[in-house]
Amino acid sequence: MIEFKDVSKVYPNGTRGLSHVNLQIEQGEFVAVIGLSGAGKSTLIRTINRMIDLTEGQVIVDDVDVMTLKGRSLRRFRRKIGMIFQSFNLVTRSTALKNVLTSMVPDMNFFSVLFGLFTKQQKLKALTALDKVGILDKAYTRCDQLSGGQQQRVALARTLNQDPSIILADEPVAALDPVMAHQVMGDFKRINQEMGITILINIHHVDLALDYASRVVGIRAGEIVYDGPASEVTQDVLTAIYGENPVPHSGDESAKQGGARDGAAKEDGRD
Amino acid sequence: MALRKKTGATEAREKLFDRVFKPQEMLLPNGHSVMRPRSRLPLIWGVILIAIAWALWFTGFDVSILIERGYQFGVILKRVFTPDMSYLDKVWSPLFDTIKMSVIGSVLGSTLALPFAVLASTNINKSRGVVAVLRVVLNIVRTLPTLVIASIFALIFGLGTFAGTVAITVFTFGIVAKMLYESIETIDMGPFEAMESLGANKFRAFWSACFPQILPTYLSQCLYSFEINVRAAAILGYVGAGGLGILINERIGWRDYESLGTVLLTLFVVVLIIENLSQYLRSKLS
Amino acid sequence: MNNVLEAYQSRPRRWWKTLLVTIIVAIILAWSGSSIEFEGIASKGSEVAYGIVHGIANPDLDLLFGTKNTDVPYLLLETVAIAFLGTIFGGILAVPFSFLASGNIVPKPVAFVVRALILLIRTIPSLVWALVWIRVTGPGAFCGVVTQSICSIGMISKMYITAIEDLDTRILESMDAAGLTAFQKIRYGVLPQLTANFTSTIIYRFDINIKDATTLGIVGAGGIGASLVQCISSRRWSMVGAFLCGMIVLMLVIEFASTRIRRRLAHG
Repeated sequence: MIEFKDVSKVYPNGTRGLSHVNLQIEQGEFVAVIGLSGAGKSTLIRTINRMIDLTEGQVIVDDVDVMTLKGRSLRRFRRKIGMIFQSFNLVTRSTALKNVLTSMVPDMNFFSVLFGLFTKQQKLKALTALDKVGILDKAYTRCDQLSGGQQQRVALARTLNQDPSIILADEPVAALDPVMAHQVMGDFKRINQEMGITILINIHHVDLALDYASRVVGIRAGEIVYDGPASEVTQDVLTAIYGENPVPHSGDESAKQGGARDGAAKEDGRD
Repeated sequence: MALRKKTGATEAREKLFDRVFKPQEMLLPNGHSVMRPRSRLPLIWGVILIAIAWALWFTGFDVSILIERGYQFGVILKRVFTPDMSYLDKVWSPLFDTIKMSVIGSVLGSTLALPFAVLASTNINKSRGVVAVLRVVLNIVRTLPTLVIASIFALIFGLGTFAGTVAITVFTFGIVAKMLYESIETIDMGPFEAMESLGANKFRAFWSACFPQILPTYLSQCLYSFEINVRAAAILGYVGAGGLGILINERIGWRDYESLGTVLLTLFVVVLIIENLSQYLRSKLS
Repeated sequence: MNNVLEAYQSRPRRWWKTLLVTIIVAIILAWSGSSIEFEGIASKGSEVAYGIVHGIANPDLDLLFGTKNTDVPYLLLETVAIAFLGTIFGGILAVPFSFLASGNIVPKPVAFVVRALILLIRTIPSLVWALVWIRVTGPGAFCGVVTQSICSIGMISKMYITAIEDLDTRILESMDAAGLTAFQKIRYGVLPQLTANFTSTIIYRFDINIKDATTLGIVGAGGIGASLVQCISSRRWSMVGAFLCGMIVLMLVIEFASTRIRRRLAHG
């Protein structure tokens, strides 16, 4: 269970990322976070595995206050939270399998890590993860030869391979074309249903969010303005989230522009 | 066509490797399986290690000599780093000779390279035979070391800066022509076709549609070759082709390392100035 | 019509800029041309030119295909061995240099000093390095190896540094999120990105070193250069032809292979 208790985040440059957010997410939910660029979607997701520090309030994940963690305990905590990025973040010169194997590295001893010695068990597990996202046949292909959708699936397999109980996805389909976006979203939904993994996803395309997620959280200027089932999102709700602007849909021009996100929030979000 | 042939050859080679080292089947717990191609790394590393061992033996590599006599290098280095400034007066003239040789050589070589590069680009020159012959010639010109060219020209034209200038010209010609035809092949051919459709002949069409596109690249390549040429010209004197090389040879022969230090210091400063100037100009060009 | 004239009147006037550049270039050329004197072809110069053309057309075949240690194949092998070892050692020695010269890894002053050192290594011609090392090692192939190990550092480090500065750091972000330590991030996030780049650089430098190794022979650092220059000065043209033919073929082969391998490294 993920619990936000009166969480606020103010960036050093004065930008307000989140203000007084209260939120509860149960294990196994599929939550889509929607909102304008710079509304605080990224900040919300990144506070959960503490890629971003809070300035106020508490984030509690499975009875652990994330702000109390540091160093080794923080790394161990992050092991059970997978994260997916808009830009895939793969080592493009390595094969898909090697990329998936890196998520096992924290549990290995020094020499195995140094020389890259993986056991057959580990390789089979990594291959199984690739199989789960349907690209087993690309296991020995270098990632720079895969399409964007396939690369995002490798990243998803890498995350699955660390046996997470939660997956955070930061704009996972923003860099993909609509067909691939649907495929990747389908993968998320399947993983959510079959493996019971909690999924939190930041997304610009409202139609994709409504199609695949079970719960929608709408953010505007760092505050939660809607929190409820995807089926109950109406035009009024969207207006509350997006204002009078046209609502972005996948394939829309406005959605594409949304791909280039608020620079300030993103830059400061890095630690 | 040529491209397809090439990829075909690559595939055939990979298949050969996989035939010798059969891919291994990885069976997953869920029953699916995937073929794992054997890694080429062990083979590559094996070949490299054997090659290193062979080369060590062949060249008589001996670490003990380095350990025993390595201090000698330090002694020389120390003397080089305490340059004899009174020698500076004798450095100016050969230093300027070196710079002059590289300037003239770079200008002549790059000018000469222009028509050859144009004729060696497949998108301008449709005659495959001419392109192939020109490229072989350019490749051969580039393989000849500058010092060898210089020593031959020193015999033909007599000792002195002229032989050096010709050597630098040939060297510049080789590298600029290659870089240039590679960049000519990447230009947008639309304007060229437009000019031809207006009734311009090939030369006019190239001159007004393609040349403006490659001009900044061309100038940048000329400057780059000039940067290299200053360093190359500095040693040509060793075979009697004028410039700093004469001094370098002479000072080392007399074991006058302090004066050698002076020569190298001036060369260092000149190269530093020229590289920075050239890089500044090149950044302006792009 | 007035508009057209107005547009014409307000055209950008850059003629003085063009004039300035032209004058500067003309001055440089005039100054440079001043001391390069063409004194006509040396006596027997045309004989030399004819001899070289004739020699290359009729190379000394015994020399070209012989197996003695003064014949072309042996000397070419020696040249390859020198360049190969020189490049490998240079490539290894360049690693600490390039990390120490990367401003994003070490403090700025350290990076600056190391960069100056690299520039120094690069500026001093390899011939000078060879002439100095020969005092330590004595003449022979060993001297060539040591020389090339040192002078390769300059260019290789320069290209390594570019690769290090171009690292994709987003990968490190995702590794952070997966709970990797700093060491693990370097091993799996940084190294795999660098190896292909570094290998490519080393192969490129090998290409250059082969050419350079033929030159080093001239000062007695092994390889084919010494015999070649001797033959040139004693005007034995058919032997010169044999050496040149061997060298040209070797370098064309190496360059072709090097380009192929580097293209595969870059594109998989």
